[in-house]
Formats: sequence, structure tokens, C-alpha cells
Amino acid sequence: MSAKLIMKQVTKTYGDGDGAMTVLNNLDFTVNEGEFVAVLGPSGSGKSTFLSAAGALLTPTSGEIFIDGESLRDKDKGALTELRLQKIGFMFQSAQLLPFLKVEEQLLYVAKLAKLTTKEAKVRATCLLKRLEIWERRNQYPEQLSGGEKQRVAIARAWMNKPAILFADEPTASLDYSRGREVVRMIADEVRSEGKAAVMVTHDDRMLEWCDRVLHLEDGVLVQA
Amino acid sequence: MFLALREMRHSKARYSLIMVIMLLVSFLVLFVTGLARGLAYANISALENMPANYFVVQSDADHTFRRSQLGESELAAARAVAGEAKATPLGVQTSTITAADADVKADITFFAIDMAGMLAPEVTEGAGITNEVQGSAVVDSKLEESGVTIGSTISDQATGMSWTVSGFVKDSSYSHTPVVYINQLDWQAMKQGAVQGGSSDSTDSTDSTDSTGNAPYNVIALKVSSAQASEIAAQQQSVEVITQKQAISSVPGYAAEQNSLLMMIAFLFVIAAVVLAVFFYVITIQKTSQFGILKAMGTKMSYLAWSVVGQVLILSVASLALSLLLTFGMNMGLPDTMPFQLDGQTMILTSLLFIGMSLLGSLISVARVAKVDALEAIGRTGA
Ligand SMILES: Nc1ncnc2c1ncn2[C@@H]1O[C@H](COP(=O)(O)OP(=O)(O)OP(=O)(O)O)[C@@H](O)[C@H]1O
Ligand SMILES: [Mg+2]
Repeated sequence: MSAKLIMKQVTKTYGDGDGAMTVLNNLDFTVNEGEFVAVLGPSGSGKSTFLSAAGALLTPTSGEIFIDGESLRDKDKGALTELRLQKIGFMFQSAQLLPFLKVEEQLLYVAKLAKLTTKEAKVRATCLLKRLEIWERRNQYPEQLSGGEKQRVAIARAWMNKPAILFADEPTASLDYSRGREVVRMIADEVRSEGKAAVMVTHDDRMLEWCDRVLHLEDGVLVQA
Repeated sequence: MFLALREMRHSKARYSLIMVIMLLVSFLVLFVTGLARGLAYANISALENMPANYFVVQSDADHTFRRSQLGESELAAARAVAGEAKATPLGVQTSTITAADADVKADITFFAIDMAGMLAPEVTEGAGITNEVQGSAVVDSKLEESGVTIGSTISDQATGMSWTVSGFVKDSSYSHTPVVYINQLDWQAMKQGAVQGGSSDSTDSTDSTDSTGNAPYNVIALKVSSAQASEIAAQQQSVEVITQKQAISSVPGYAAEQNSLLMMIAFLFVIAAVVLAVFFYVITIQKTSQFGILKAMGTKMSYLAWSVVGQVLILSVASLALSLLLTFGMNMGLPDTMPFQLDGQTMILTSLLFIGMSLLGSLISVARVAKVDALEAIGRTGA
């Protein structure tokens, strides 16, 4: 089994001097292939910070991060952008779809960035949209979709480039209980059918049914529930 | 372009609005440019159409033709360098004429030239005149509009001399007045008349050119290379050789007129750039979170920059194309009395400048996009 994400002694401090605040404190974390891990924590505990660091959006103050075996340490901005494109799928709090792209185009755009051929992209988009049961809505704009449908498009978009790992920041925050559970189940299904990994950050402990592991972010470190 | 085009498709109203504004501004730019060119042409077409590229003027004349006084020695010196045919004298005199048979009184400019030389007017109607026969003139066709016909007699108010109109030329204005071409014999007669202080019978002045002692010409028109021009200038202390362009901009009133129009055009360009820059900047700020998401997803900055610039390019080219059509339409509908002229070269230059300014305006948006952090995408609520 290979590790999709390894975080070694990662520390993130905001500010300096007296006002310095350590949000992540020598945090160690590993996610293996096929795993769906949930990270829980109250508001302000550093969940978004943790996810940003793991997702190559934020450079930690110290420590080292590997994604799919590649260290992030010596990469410049452009290389990190390329790595995010190829290896990481993101799901953001409240879908964050691009308002001017139709559902199918949301996926085709990612494929275009990754330089997939048009045919490949079409096939992959069709497959994902069908699996997530939003194929009928492929020609609609995000504004015409319900919250749950938007999150399903977001899931499909995140998996489009066959990333090594998916990071989801409170994907259920803007959904009601049953829709939220549905979305989490779908993420879990995709992790299994794609044979990849996923990390979901949430503060809602009712959403953990399909997760392989549940961790708590406390005082800057992850602890087993 | 994937994003740029789809975004424009989705927000048609917003982008059409920008396009309409750009269309109006670019139309105004083209129109005022055409008007400026047209006015310039109506002002100095006689000089612009002259087959001369340099002029010899007296060095203390401030490049102004009428202030300059040259004589035979200067002409001879110029001819020694340029050759007999490539240097020819020109007399310039503004005056007021009346036409006996028509009720016409008009401000005109006399051009006294060698009718066998390179400045000889191209008569479009009627007949030309010769160097030998006095009392005939070729006049600009604008006088035809005020009632002068071939065979009319026109009289100079200042000297009382009169000429029979033998032909018309097109597009011959100097300082917004129609040009009346006369030969050197009449010119000498006119000068002597003026010296003697009134109207006198001056038909016996055929041999007067040098004996009178006063300078017979204002300037010497040259058709020479720049090397020859500087050679002529170097030879004589009292003269200066100026280009046709310099001569044109020294025509009284020309520079003032063109400068104010040019100022307007320059402002229009700036306005175009600022309007576009502000619009795009506002739109870009609105889309900050979108750019954050795009970057988090792995979109390269160069792609986003190209997307913004591409939109501006599409908008400015499209609105420019429309306003060019509009300008052509307008030009056809304009009455002849309204001077309007837009040649291909000016049009291309104006268009390129407009597109350039638009792109310049889009740069602050690009700079703004560059500043957006991919981190914006995480931990935010929003669209
Ligand atoms: N750019 C920053 N500069 C300074 N402090 C920051 C910055 N970003 C976050 N913080 C602080 O770090 C702490 C953790 O923030 P973070 O956004 O990671 O929390 P969170 O667990 O995601 O909270 P929530 O559940 O409300 O989204 C907070 O106290 C926050 O104020
Ligand atoms: Mg958060």
C-alpha cells in the first residue's frame, strides 16, 4: 500500500513575535491509498489551515509534506500549481463552481488544463456525471442547480483529472442533513471506485458513517478519536 | 480562450454594455481623427498637393512663406545644387478679390509660379495659362461654388489688377482660402504696383525682375534629396531649408487648429483606456474568489492573464470593427461642405493605437489577478 499523503512534523505559525499563533504544531499524518479520512475540530481549531497546507496552497512554517511520493518543499509557485492540477482534487465549502460554465464544461475545463484530448475528456466527464447522477443536468448553469447537485458537480470536477488525493473543506456545510450525508457517501464511493484517497474536514460528527478513519484536530495536532 | 469566451457568453449584458461604450469612444476617436485630417486638408491642400518636398525660406522668416523674401541670387544658388527643374520660385500673397459679373467677394491667396515648372497647376476644367500672357489666372474650384465661372473677371482689391479666369483646379487651399494661380509677369506687376502705392499701368514691366531691386519671390520650392537640401542650406547664410511638413505646420492657423484637435484625440484615447480599465478592474474585483478557485484548481497565471487580455482584445477589436463601419456610413452621409478625410494609413494607425490603449487598460486587471492567492478558495463561503 502506498501513501498518498505524508505530513512530517508540520508546523504553521501565523504572525510573529508576541502575537504569534501556532495553529499546526509538529503535526504528523499519513493517508494511504483507498482511505477516506475525516478530520474533525471546532471552529477556529485550524482545519482550513491544515487542509491548505496539505493541499499545497499554503507553505508551512516548518516540516515536510509529500503528495503521492513528491515532496513539496523545493517547489516554486508554478510547480505547485502544476502539482495541484495533476495530483490534487479540491472540494470547497459551498461547491464554488464557476458561474459561467455549464455543468459539463466545469469538468471539461479541468481536462483542458491537464491537456487531456477532447475525446478522453468527454468520456471521463460522461462517466463521472452519470455515476453521480447529474448527467441530465449537464447543460445547466450552476445557478440552476440545488445545493446538493452543486456539490455533486464539485465532486465530479475534483475527480476529473484522476488526482492522487482529494481534499474536501466542509463539503456539507451548506447542505441539510440528508443531502450532506448523500454527498459524503458519494465521496466515499468515488474513493473506492477510483482507488485513490480523500481527506475531509468537517465540524459535523453526523457525517462520519463512511469514513475509514476519524481524527480530531486539537492543539495543532491530529489525535485518534 | 475557453474561459474568456464562455464568460462573455454567460454575461452578455455586462459585456455588451462595455462594448457599446468602447464602440462609442472608438467611433468618436475615428470621427474626430477624420475631421482633423479633413480640416487640415481643407486648410493647406495646395501645399500638401505640391510636388515639392523642401522649401527654401529666408532664415529670419520663422518658416512663414509670406514673411520670407528671396531673390534671383538665392534661386540661382538653389538651382546650382538641385538642377534647373527641381528648384522653382513661389510667390505668396493673401488678398481679397471681387468678381465683376458675379456678386462675389472672397479672401484668396495668390500663388505666383513658373507655369512651365513643376508647380504648374493641374487644371481640371478650362485651360491653363502660360508664362508669357498676362491677365489670366487659374483658380481653385471653391471659387466656382461662389459663382465664379470660366471667363469671369476677378479683380484684386489691393492693387486693382484684374484677371480673366481661364481654368479651375481642385483641392488648392492655403490657410483655408482658395488659391489663385498667376504667372511671374503678373506677380512682378503686382509687386511694382504695390511699391508705387496704387493701381498703375504695369504692362511695360517685362524686364523688371532684377532692376527693381526688391526681392521677387517669397520661397523656392525644391524637389531634392535630404543631402541636397542640407547642401543648399549650408551654402547661404540668409536662408533655411524646411521640409514640406514644417512648411505646412507654419501656415498661419494650421498648428493651432490641428493641436486642439490632436489634444481631443489624445484625450479620447486616454478616456478609452481609463473606461475600459475601470470596467475590467471592477469586474475583476468581483471575481476575486473565482480566480482563487481557478488557481487552487491548478490554473496557471499565464492562462488567466491571457484570458483577461483575450476578453479585452475581443471587445476592442469587435467594437472597433463596428465603429469603422459606422464611420464609413457616416462619411457617405456627410455633406460635402463638412471636411472629413480618413486614409487607410491613418485608420490603421488609429485602430492599432486604440487596441494598444485598451490592452494597456487591461493590465491593471491582470496585475490584480496576479495578486489573488489560491488560498482564497479554502475556508470561504461564497458563490
Ligand atoms: N492568514 C491568517 N493570518 C492570521 N491568522 C490566521 C490566518 N488564517 C487563519 N488564522 C487563524 O488561525 C486559526 C485557525 O483558522 P482556520 O481557518 O484554519 O480554522 P478552521 O478550523 O478552518 O475554522 P472554521 O471551522 O471556522 O472554518 C484561527 O484562529 C484564525 O484566526
Ligand atoms: Mg475553515
